[in-house]
Amino acid sequence: MNKTLLGYVPEHSPIYSVHPFVKLFFLLVVSLFPMFISAPEWNVGLMLGIMLLMIYSRVSLRTLKMYIPVAISMGIIILLSYTLLGGVQPQYQQITRVLGVSIYWERLRDALVVYFRVVPMILSMVFFLSTSRERDLIVAMRTIRIPFVVTYVFAMALRAAGMVLEDFHIVRQAEQARGFDATGKSIPYKIRKYVMYMIPLFALSLRRTEEFTNALVARGYAFAGEGARVKRADFVLTHYHFSVMDGLYTTVIVLLFAAILVARYGFQRLTVEDSYFLNWLYSIIVSAA
Amino acid sequence: MANAIEITNYSWAYAHGNGKALKAVNLSVEQGECVGVIGPNGAGKTTLAYSIDGLVPGQYHGIKEGTVQIQGREVEDYPKGMLQREVGLVFSDPEAQFTAMTVEDELVFGLENLGLDIPEIRERLDWVAELTGLGPLLQKPPYEISGGQKQRVALAAVLAMRPRVLVLDEPTSMLDPLSRKRVFEVLGQLRKVQNTTLILIEHGLEHVVPLADRMVLLAEGEIALDAPTPSFFEKLDLLHHHGLHVPGAVEVVSRLKNSGRYFGELPRGVEDARLVIQEIIDASSTKQGAV
Ligand SMILES: Nc1ncnc2c1ncn2[C@@H]1O[C@H](COP(=O)(O)OP(=O)(O)OP(=O)(O)O)[C@@H](O)[C@H]1O
Ligand SMILES: [Mg+2]
Repeated sequence: MNKTLLGYVPEHSPIYSVHPFVKLFFLLVVSLFPMFISAPEWNVGLMLGIMLLMIYSRVSLRTLKMYIPVAISMGIIILLSYTLLGGVQPQYQQITRVLGVSIYWERLRDALVVYFRVVPMILSMVFFLSTSRERDLIVAMRTIRIPFVVTYVFAMALRAAGMVLEDFHIVRQAEQARGFDATGKSIPYKIRKYVMYMIPLFALSLRRTEEFTNALVARGYAFAGEGARVKRADFVLTHYHFSVMDGLYTTVIVLLFAAILVARYGFQRLTVEDSYFLNWLYSIIVSAA
Repeated sequence: MANAIEITNYSWAYAHGNGKALKAVNLSVEQGECVGVIGPNGAGKTTLAYSIDGLVPGQYHGIKEGTVQIQGREVEDYPKGMLQREVGLVFSDPEAQFTAMTVEDELVFGLENLGLDIPEIRERLDWVAELTGLGPLLQKPPYEISGGQKQRVALAAVLAMRPRVLVLDEPTSMLDPLSRKRVFEVLGQLRKVQNTTLILIEHGLEHVVPLADRMVLLAEGEIALDAPTPSFFEKLDLLHHHGLHVPGAVEVVSRLKNSGRYFGELPRGVEDARLVIQEIIDASSTKQGAV
């Protein structure tokens, strides 16, 4: 098993032969797709596509289960905020009234469109995080010649997040070793106890920052001045090379994106009016009413 | 040529500490010399190490008096990042030193900072991985290996930079006896081949003795004793006073010497001690035979 940013991928996964740049490119470009797709069925198609890629890369789909509650609560929030707080225009068509609140078709439609845009975006993020390691991110950024300082600060942020979690575990273990266990206690009790964790955690983080700067300085790293002017070799890049397949993947992503833009702005497709699903929903909700 | 390290009347007080961590320290070390530094907890050993590497006063607030010169130049006068090219520091907590996501990146980080090119980096990486036996661990995250392995990574990362002065702050505290022996062999080798200056900070005397030309006892921020290794152990009372454990074999001979039964150099290890004691026995039996 190989630890990625979000769990594990099996030792043998086709995803390892893919250049990190392609993964980052996938994340950045594919998560833009839904911005140009209004018809929910196409976004569902995109979701299925990403899920197929996950299966192909042997990402455990159990990771996804974790997000089901998030997806549901997000759906409810979007639905409520659009239908209740959406405001109204004279041409809106009222479907029904619930407890004195008018429900309009346009609002419901917009909620659906937005929801099915957000979900594939999140999914492509999950796909990326469960197939990439921190190092992949760094390599991807260095491949496109993002300055070292930027990638390094980014890497430090990632590492800092990891360390805070690690410290949290240590503090918790220390608490538990002293016989403290919050399971089955009331929520306010737990909150109070978690605040108690935060204090040593804060102290630990401060110490870590000091240690980390010391470590950088001691190894001759300088953010500015004469020491910073050396030309850095990117040794890590020697482990990766951009293969023909990587070129192919990148091209496919670019072509797909182009196809979406052309369909949307050249042919007025993928729009709300063009959606079979929304037209069908309209016919059963509004026409029937 | 100037001394590798020249510390004169140097005192340091941390801004939030109570009192001076180092008081009027004088220490000069020639290029290629190996100095062992020992002392109880809180004696100022780590502060001394930081002072030689420029972390003090560079990264800490406090009050400095006196001078600390490396290769004839005051530490503050080096441009940022340049002093650390001369002086390598291995931290006592290896994890505090890690900056990267894999062991390999960790070993390479300093080399990239030096501005070396890829073939040179590869050459040094192979060299140091072989030297410290880290080959099989290169692709692992440095946080997911054992304590002893971490310490070897910390050491290797600094060795790869090939500094002229190497300061090691308890570099072997987590190593098993065999790995520790190996590390000291590596350091000895380095000294012979590259004439590296070594400052070796340790709690236990027995580890430094075979390597150090000179020993420094640091106590409460002051240098209590600075002597060539053989005569260092003649001051048994002083060492005991500071709670130091003197290796048994050395202590025995030292006592014999203090009681006027032996006049030569003190031994450095058990085997040396055996020879010395043999000599004393032989001498006294000849004397008895003569009577
Ligand atoms: N960052 C700091 N701020 C304030 N005081 C400090 C700081 N670091 C160390 N000190 C103080 O300076 C003195 C010397 O500490 P130092 O860490 O140099 O001791 P040491 O000999 O390395 O001890 P040990 O054997 O435990 O590693 C101690 O009294 C300590 O409390
Ligand atoms: Mg110390």
